[in-house]
Amino acid sequence: MIRFDNVSKYYPTRYGPKYVLRDLNIEIPDDRDIAILGANGAGKSTMLRLLGGIDFPTSGKIKSDRFISWPLALASGMQGKLTGRENVRFICRIHGVNANKETEEFVKDFSELGDSFELPLNSYSSGMRSKYSFAVSMGFDFDTYLIDEILSVGDAGFRRKCEAAITNKRANANIILVSHNMDVLKRQCNAAILLAYGRADFYESVDQAIFRYQNL
Amino acid sequence: MKARSAFSIQKDVIFAIFIREMVTRFSSYTFGNIWLVLEPLLMMILFMVIFGARGRGAYGFVEAPVFIFSAFLTFRLLWNYTMKQNFSARNGTQGLLEYRQVRLFDVFLARSIIEGALFIVVGLIIAMGLVWLGYDPWPSDLLLVLAYCLVLWLFAASFGMLGCMLGSFAREIEKFISLMTMPLMFLSAVFFPMSIIPPQYWKYLTWNPLLHAMELIREAWFSTYTSPVADLQYLLAFTLIFMALAMSTYRLSWRRVLAR
Repeated sequence: MIRFDNVSKYYPTRYGPKYVLRDLNIEIPDDRDIAILGANGAGKSTMLRLLGGIDFPTSGKIKSDRFISWPLALASGMQGKLTGRENVRFICRIHGVNANKETEEFVKDFSELGDSFELPLNSYSSGMRSKYSFAVSMGFDFDTYLIDEILSVGDAGFRRKCEAAITNKRANANIILVSHNMDVLKRQCNAAILLAYGRADFYESVDQAIFRYQNL
Repeated sequence: MKARSAFSIQKDVIFAIFIREMVTRFSSYTFGNIWLVLEPLLMMILFMVIFGARGRGAYGFVEAPVFIFSAFLTFRLLWNYTMKQNFSARNGTQGLLEYRQVRLFDVFLARSIIEGALFIVVGLIIAMGLVWLGYDPWPSDLLLVLAYCLVLWLFAASFGMLGCMLGSFAREIEKFISLMTMPLMFLSAVFFPMSIIPPQYWKYLTWNPLLHAMELIREAWFSTYTSPVADLQYLLAFTLIFMALAMSTYRLSWRRVLAR
């Protein structure tokens, strides 16, 4: 379970604090795959960063007993000068995974990069990069995967493969997904959080949340 | 994924950053990682030729190249590089902080360890070169030299850490510190011993804690030299104060620095 206790988050700006989340109280159950909905700037990515432990609430607490992945956005956390393989090795090291050979081979296969896997990330196209980042995250066993828009890039075949991979992981993990693609949200998630008017509401049904979101 | 203790997470992270820094620092150069050692090596050779060319026994108690070797190795590699690397720890490491187990402090630690290790490796290589050329570069009291070097290294790391934290609130600090590095070399008794400075100026120069570090190291390195001013307590006090300041600034503001 992941619980938000009175979580507020603001960023200081020259016009004073700009609140992104205010007094949030939410409980995310373990058996749900969550869609996060909201307009641009409503705080979706901030919420993922808070969940990922790389940004912190200004006040309040986030409690969790799960292994949560890093927020998977397009080019996050990768060093462009290093090759695909070296980046995987780095992530293995910081996660204490000793079987890095297996993970490397898994990522190489899954990302369909072939020899490009041995080239620096700077030389990748954005499509290759998104395939690569997604493959990397699938190489690790987390309890909760934080996925930021990454499913909407890449070619159709790869997108199907991604969704299949997520469905597989679903057996002993779940996902928290940010996307503007409503079909993906409907297929992948069975609960939703709608961020609007500085509030966050938990919905048991994705359809209902989408309806509310489209009629904001 | 299995749970690890805080200590083993930090160990894994520092090791990972260590490797990553070593691989990326010179990856765009033709010679690659050879530059890790080659850059300080070339610099040292240059200094030793320029200053050493003035002749042997310039200061009476030791041959010029060995004198230059002992001073520049510690000042440039241990003080300057460690300070600069810690000071610029936020450049190019934003991507690292996308993982929850990696903190800025791990970058500080990894970079300090790299610079400390490079200091020893480059020092050994040049010392062997000097032996080959017929000089005697070995410190007369090796353990004492290493102990003083450790203090200087801690001082440099804390200074850089503090500069990095303050610099992320006011970028002017960067300008100030980069302006300061050149004059500091003249004020820290790097290419002259304090014994050739007229005693009436001692009281001004000895404010500088780096001067004490240099003089102490020189004293331990050459049995024939006794520094007129070196004060270990002064250096230790400065190191402790800067360490405390750096740690507490980090602890108080690391979350705010993240958002910048």
